[in-house]
Parts: sequence; C-alpha cells; structure tokens
Amino acid sequence: MDKNRSKQLVFFGLILLIFVIYTLRLASLQLGDVPYKKMAINNALNKITLYPSRSNVFDRKGKLMVYSTQMYDLSVFPFEIKKLDTGLLCSVLELDIQTVRGLIADARVRAKKRQKNNSFNNSALFYANLSNKQFTLLRENIYRLDGFFIESRTDRQFATATLSHALGYLGEADEELIASDEYYQPGDLVGITGLERYYEKQIRGIKGVKTVWQDRTYTERGVVKDTQFNYPATAGPDVISSLDFVLQEYGRELLNGKKGSIVAIEPGTGEVLAFINNPDYDPNTMVGRDRANTFKSLLRDPQKPLYNRAVKGVYPPGSTFKTVMALIAMQEGVLTPETTHGCGGGYRLGSIRVGCHPHGGPLDLRGSIRISCNSYYCQVFRDIIDNPEYGNVKVGYAALEKHLRSFGLGSPLGIDLLGESRGNIPSVSQLDRRHGDRWKSSTIISLSIGQGEILLTPLQMCNTAAIIANRGWYYSPHLIKRIDGYKDTAWDRKYKIKKFTTVDPRYFQYVIDGMSDVTKPGGTANGTGIENVEICAKTGTAQNPHGKDHSIYIAFAPKDNPKIAIAVLVENGGFGATWAAPIANLMIEKYLQGKAESSKPAMEERIKTSVIQ
Amino acid sequence: MYVVLLLIGFISVSSATSDVNQAFYSLSDIAIKQLVFIFGAILIIFTIVFSNVVVIDYFAYGFYAIAITLNILVLFLGREISGAKSWFGFGGFGIQPSEFAKVATALALSKFLGTYGVKFQGTKNIVTALGIVLLPMAIILIQNDTGSALVFLSFFLVLYREGLPGYILVSAVWLGILAIFRIISEATGISSFYGYGILLGLGSIIVFFVRKDRGIAMLVTTIAVISSLFYTIVGTFYSKILMQYQRDRIELVLGLKEDDRGMGFNLKQSKIAIGAGEMWGRGYLKGTQTKMGFVPEQHTDFIFDAIGEEWGFVGSTLFLLIFCGLLVRLVIMAERQSTVFGRVLGYSLASVLFFHMSINIGMTVGLVPTIGIPLPFISAGGSSLWAFTLFLFTFLRVDQVRK
Repeated sequence: MDKNRSKQLVFFGLILLIFVIYTLRLASLQLGDVPYKKMAINNALNKITLYPSRSNVFDRKGKLMVYSTQMYDLSVFPFEIKKLDTGLLCSVLELDIQTVRGLIADARVRAKKRQKNNSFNNSALFYANLSNKQFTLLRENIYRLDGFFIESRTDRQFATATLSHALGYLGEADEELIASDEYYQPGDLVGITGLERYYEKQIRGIKGVKTVWQDRTYTERGVVKDTQFNYPATAGPDVISSLDFVLQEYGRELLNGKKGSIVAIEPGTGEVLAFINNPDYDPNTMVGRDRANTFKSLLRDPQKPLYNRAVKGVYPPGSTFKTVMALIAMQEGVLTPETTHGCGGGYRLGSIRVGCHPHGGPLDLRGSIRISCNSYYCQVFRDIIDNPEYGNVKVGYAALEKHLRSFGLGSPLGIDLLGESRGNIPSVSQLDRRHGDRWKSSTIISLSIGQGEILLTPLQMCNTAAIIANRGWYYSPHLIKRIDGYKDTAWDRKYKIKKFTTVDPRYFQYVIDGMSDVTKPGGTANGTGIENVEICAKTGTAQNPHGKDHSIYIAFAPKDNPKIAIAVLVENGGFGATWAAPIANLMIEKYLQGKAESSKPAMEERIKTSVIQ
Repeated sequence: MYVVLLLIGFISVSSATSDVNQAFYSLSDIAIKQLVFIFGAILIIFTIVFSNVVVIDYFAYGFYAIAITLNILVLFLGREISGAKSWFGFGGFGIQPSEFAKVATALALSKFLGTYGVKFQGTKNIVTALGIVLLPMAIILIQNDTGSALVFLSFFLVLYREGLPGYILVSAVWLGILAIFRIISEATGISSFYGYGILLGLGSIIVFFVRKDRGIAMLVTTIAVISSLFYTIVGTFYSKILMQYQRDRIELVLGLKEDDRGMGFNLKQSKIAIGAGEMWGRGYLKGTQTKMGFVPEQHTDFIFDAIGEEWGFVGSTLFLLIFCGLLVRLVIMAERQSTVFGRVLGYSLASVLFFHMSINIGMTVGLVPTIGIPLPFISAGGSSLWAFTLFLFTFLRVDQVRK
C-alpha cells in the first residue's frame, strides 16, 4: 500500500500547506502593522444630510397657506472628478459650456468651505432645483458622470399671492450665518425676511443624517447602522397664523391699483387678521430656480415692491390722531365731553392759521370727532401743553409725550417681524433742535391734528384703533396664533401680557360715541358705512409735502364687543373718506358677515377697478 | 469525532447568527432563516443516522440523475441572482441545486468506481469517471456560476488517489504558474516575448546539458513546446474570452490593480475587517466593521471576516486548525475504508471541503481572486448547509458500518 500511503501523504501535505500559508497571511493582516484598522471608518463614507420639510403655515381657520415641496439638486464631489464629460453635462442640463465651467469652479469653492464644517463630506451643491426634464435625464446618465449625485431638499409653495410681506422669503444662508451657526451649510435655504426669518429656528425642522458607503460610482452600497450616524429628518411643526386667508385676498383685491397698506387686528388678542401692502410681489416667483433673478428685478423696481410699508412706512396720522388727543385731554382734565369750541372756518393764533373745512356751529367732543374739526383740536392741544399746572410748555409737552408713548407710539410695537420702524413722537430735545430753544405751543400746533413731526406706521395706526376698541389696553400685535407643540415662555411674556395706556378707561366711551357717528349722516365718512354693522371710525387726510394728500382711515367694529380693528392708508388718495374708508368698511363687512357678495356692490366695484397714480 | 462535529455545529450557529445580526440588510431575518436551516440540517442528520446504509448505495445513481435534472431545469425555471441563473425561488427561500450536485456527483462517482471490477484504468472507465464529474460542471458553467463549477475540479484530487497519475497534477500546477505569468504580462503590458524567451531559452539550455540522455531531452523539449503553446492559449483566453470583471478580480489579487471603490471594494473591506481583529479579536458581537455593515456579502462569501474581526488572530487560527483537523480526520477515515465506495466518498468529501475552505478564506484574505463560494457549515444559506450536512453524515454513516 505504499503508493496509496504516499498519495495520502500528498493530501496531508496539501492541507498542511494551506494551513501554514493562510496562518501566515492572517498574521500579516492581524498582527503586523495594522493600517487596515485605521482605514476602517474613513473608507468611502459619506454623510448625507436629510433635509426636513419646513413648517406648513395655516391661516387662523386652518386653511393651508404655505407648504413645502420637494426639489432636487445636482451635487458633486468636485475634488474627485477624474475625467468629466462636460459635453454630456451640458446636454443633460441644457446649459452652455461656459456656464458649466463656471458652475464647476463655484462648486470647488463651496466644497472647500463645507469641508471646514463637516470633515466627512467635501461635496458641494452644483446646480439647484432641477426641472423635471433635467432630473429625468440626469437619473439616466448619473453613472456616467463621475463624482456627481442627486440630492433632494424642500422649497416653498404658496397658496396665495398676498403673503409676501407677512411671510417673507427664503434665500441661501450667507457666510456670516454659516460661520456662526454650524447647523447651516452652504446652499441651505433660510428665512431672510418676515415670519420665515423671525421663526426660522422653529420652522426649519431638524436635519437628519444618513451615513452610507459609496462605491466608485457614488451609488450607495450600504448604510451605517449606528443611530448616531443615522436618523431621519424631523419636519417643522405646523404654524397656525393669525391671518385670515379670505380677508387677505379680499384686501389685496381692494388695494389693487393703489399704493398703500392695510392692517387689521383682533383687538381682544392682538392677533393680526390682515397684513397687506401694495406694491408687493407674488411669493411663488421667489422660489427655486427663479429666486435669484426675481430678487434682482424686484430690487431694481422703482415701485419698491420689497418695501414693507405696513411696518416700515411712516406717515403723519392726520385727523385720525384727534381721537388720541381727545383721550389724553380728558385724562389731563382739560377736556370734558361737553366742552365746546368754536371754529369759524379755521383757527387763528397770532400769525398762525390752521384751516378747517366748512361745518356748523361750535361742536362738543362727540361732534368734533364726527365732523373732524381742526380748530377744536388746536384748542385742545394748547389746553394740554399750556396747562398752567405745568408752568412751562415743555413740561406740558413732556406730559403729553408720556401719554402718547403709552399708546405704543414712538417705539416699535414688537410685532414678530424684523425691521419694524418705531415711527416718531418728537421728544422735547428733538423739538428744540428743530425749532430752536424757545418754541411755544403755536410753533408746534400742527401736531394737534396729527401733522408735523408725528409719524406713525400703518401698524401703529391699526393698533391705536385696537386700543380704543379695547377701551384702554392692547396686546403687542403678532402674526401667529401658535406653533404646534411649541411652548415659549418668552414669547408668551411678549405677546400675552396686556399693556395699558395712561388714559382711564371711562373716557374712551365718549370718543367711541363720536367715532360711531362718522359713517352716518353728518359724519366725514358718510355713505361708506355698512348696514347692520355699527362701525366706529375716524378719517384722516394726511398732508404730503411730496404730492397729493394720503387717505387714511382707522376703524373698529362692532361698537360693543369689537372683533376687528383696522387701519387703511392709501398714498396720494386725497380725503380719507374717498378711498381708505370704503376699503376698510368693506373689509369689516367681509370679516363680520362672511358673505361672498357685499351689500354695497357699486362701492366695491369702484374700489376694485380704480387706479391712483 | 463527534466533538469536532459538535464544534462545527456550534461555530456555524454562533457565527451565522452573530454576524448575520449585523448584516447590513434585513437584520435578524437572516439569522432566523439560518436557524431554520440548521434545524432542517439536524433532521437530515437524524434521517441518515437511522437509515439503512444500503439505501445510500442503492440510490446513488438515482440521486445523481435527479441532481442533474434539477440543474438543467434551473436554467429554465430558475431566478437569476447576481448574474447567475442557479436558484429556484420559493417565496423568501431559495434552493440552489448546484450545491446538491456536488454530493450527488460524489455518490455517483463512488458507486461507479466501487462497482466490482472497475478501476480508474482503461479508456472506457476513465472517460465515464471524467464524464460523471464534468457533466454537472458544464451545466453549472452554463448557469453562469463559475465558482461552483470550479469546485468540481477538486474531484481530480480524488481521481489522483484512485489512480490518476501524479504527474498530471504536477503539470496542472506548472500550467497554473505559466498562466499567472502570462496574465501578469498581459495586464502590465510587458511583452510576452520575454516569457517565450525564457521558456525556450531555458528549455534549450537544459536540453543541452542532458543531450546525452535522449529520453530526458525529448521530455524537456516536449515540455517547453507545450508550455509555449499553453502560454499563447492563456494569453488569448485572458484577453479575448474572459470578461472584464473577471480579469479585474484576478489582477486585483495579484496586486496589479488598485480599485478601492468598485471591484476592490469587497476585498478591501474584507481585509480591513479581518485586520481589525488583531490578536484577540474585538469580542463576540462587537465587530464594528461587520456590525456596521461595512463588509458586503458578509453573511455568505465573506463570513470569515466576522470570525477574523471578532475572534482575532487567535480565534481565526484556531478555526483554521479545527477545519484542517476535520479534513485530516476525514482523509484518515477515507483511507481506512474497506470498500472503494467508501473510500472514494470520503476523499470526495475531503477534497470538496478543502477546495471550498481554501478558496473562500483565501478570498477574504486577498490571496485568491473573488470567487463566490461559501464556507461550508458557516456561511448562511440553506442549500449549502443541507448539502454539506448530507454529504458529511452520509459518509459518517458509511464509515460507521465498515467492517
């Protein structure tokens, strides 16, 4: 059996050979210098950001106003492109070669920046928001484009074109933001203005992460399973705005063809019901691919559609201010509801003359509001600041100023938007600078009728109406009711604490009575009122040194238990009653009655179709 | 003997479950599946152990015939997985007939060579024996499962024991070396003329020295000529017939080609995983490479990685030792068989297991090009487990009754 024995030995030999060779090999891998261990984690790993949906925004009744849509971007690892088929890239994206080269260069810059923030990932956004066609073509050809891959993100869609100033727009995070907050990467969309900006941290959601192995063609080959490297994105919580969708659209329609602003507030809560400016822009043009171009053209537009008049535009309040004056005068004890003052077509004081429109004999407080007599208020104003108890006009003025500031005037009201103007209530020193040190009540008499240095934003005007409606207090106006599941005591402190004026509540009734006459026969806005609704209002016609007077109107309704306070300003609109009053009253009707048809279709038609240059 | 077997069983269960738990898709799905398969295997064991040995011998040819049929059928009815049409799919389970073909071929071959009066001599017998081996091999090649087809080459070892002259095997090795050189020259672009030059030059020198002895001189010349011919054939085969991915894999292993993201991906991950085990391993269920799913196919072809990473050098070597120990034991048992049937069966078993082990582990450590064949008893997969269990225990049963 020798031969067989030797054959058997061959087998043993083979087995032994393999054993030895493999053991040696194992030793070399496992015992020797082990670079393989270090290579482990960094191998072809890519940390992919999962972008969350931004919060949906609903109106106060639950109607969806703003939502998120999916958009696809083409991203690239620019430093790993070995040979690039630029021709293919051009034809798939339908761009010319220069543009493509430019995009590649940009991507390189961006990738370097991103690498600073996120060491695993040196990819960069190459081309944002692919069209359907580009997306399809890319999907088929992506394997031929070394280093490129498709990422998805979300962008905004608006169900209404009227929200531009309230909501604001998104834009790419700038350098400063990226440097200061590591949550943001180049190319991320953040809120730039409006609610998008103010509540950015809450509504942006939370990014998720997926860490994957990628092979040469950047196809996923496996997912790292550790939950530290893998968690889904969390969508932003629903935002319930205080705005009323129907009112927004209606108001915008009414404001069409005119420049100006409409602000409406629910007096009992400080919630803003309507927030409209014209000129404005369609927010759906400020998304995706068009964003950059639209923005450029909006900036250049001489009409300034990006300008948020409601909180940035400052105007003299004109006669609407008389309401406040009356309240302060009563508080100061220099006026009673029965006090009368004569007019005679104007007020004369030395060389100063303030005109007034023709009306009947001496008026009491109620009448002075109904008819809006200038002389009455010149007198009232002087009574306040020339009060002998103060001894000095400046001290008297300072007392007036204090009251005015308690109405929230002269400082920002604190609405949840950025860039709110504080308006202007002149201080004593400001008056000194303007008029010299020895001014008298006659010098600043124009303040009595809401002209001169006094400036209010439309928001402040509306808030004033709300204060009167509430008989002496207000909540800081705000544009959202709540964010689902979100609790913020600082926010509550800001918006849920009543702010009281220095005027006693019992005086308000007298002014309100006067205001309730304004839309009735004999009132300055006669003919614009709505049947079955008791509207309290005040017209204003603000003198405009640059052109025609501005048409202003503040109002609230119903008289008892008011539900809506509103201010309308139409630039160059002339008398308050001509344009501002009808617009406001129609909106009040729409809000309180909720009908599709107005009870005054002719007035509505006139407003809708009019254009003021 | 049974201790060894129990150990295998234990390792297979623990490996399959632990690593499969960390597979990067369908978690413990695979582990549970494997447990089911193991259960089935135990059933098979019992069936065999309690059945009559005669049955095995009687059904040998029948089993072979069924296996061949199934393998042909799968070409038409089977599902295509990874480019190979070698699976029957039933819902979540699959059966791979090629695994069973190995056992069947061993049985048929054993029966044939064990038939009274038949030896591995004479054209008719040789051809039949070769036919038994080559037929399933060809069919499996058509299925496009090159790996499994190559396993049948291990039967040549068996034939060696049964009479195939040794020089055939030596020639095979020599041709293998030639092939590698040719491949290197093809891949790197070094002119093949060097190869020819060396062959013929060396051949001439040797002939010159032994010119006195006609016989040897003739032999050397023949070798030189055939070698050159083979050299050419390999060249053509390599560039014109082999597919790019196969070339890539070979070149990768030879160190001629670095490709970390595509082809080389599996290999690199495998080496990393094993390397991470170092001396003592990272501990049971703690292999981060395998745990985080960094090693693709880790529960089938690359399962040795899990052993390497979790049990380290000590563990892996131990494993090798056990497996080789098993092989040695089988060879001893095979040799002491009183029947040819038993002996051929034993050597077939040992050879097939040897082949699988060498190629599979060799692949994970980067010594062998990626050829997809499982590690017997360890890799997840029902067909493989059942086929090998069948194989092993059939032989054990046969051994049990030897006189």
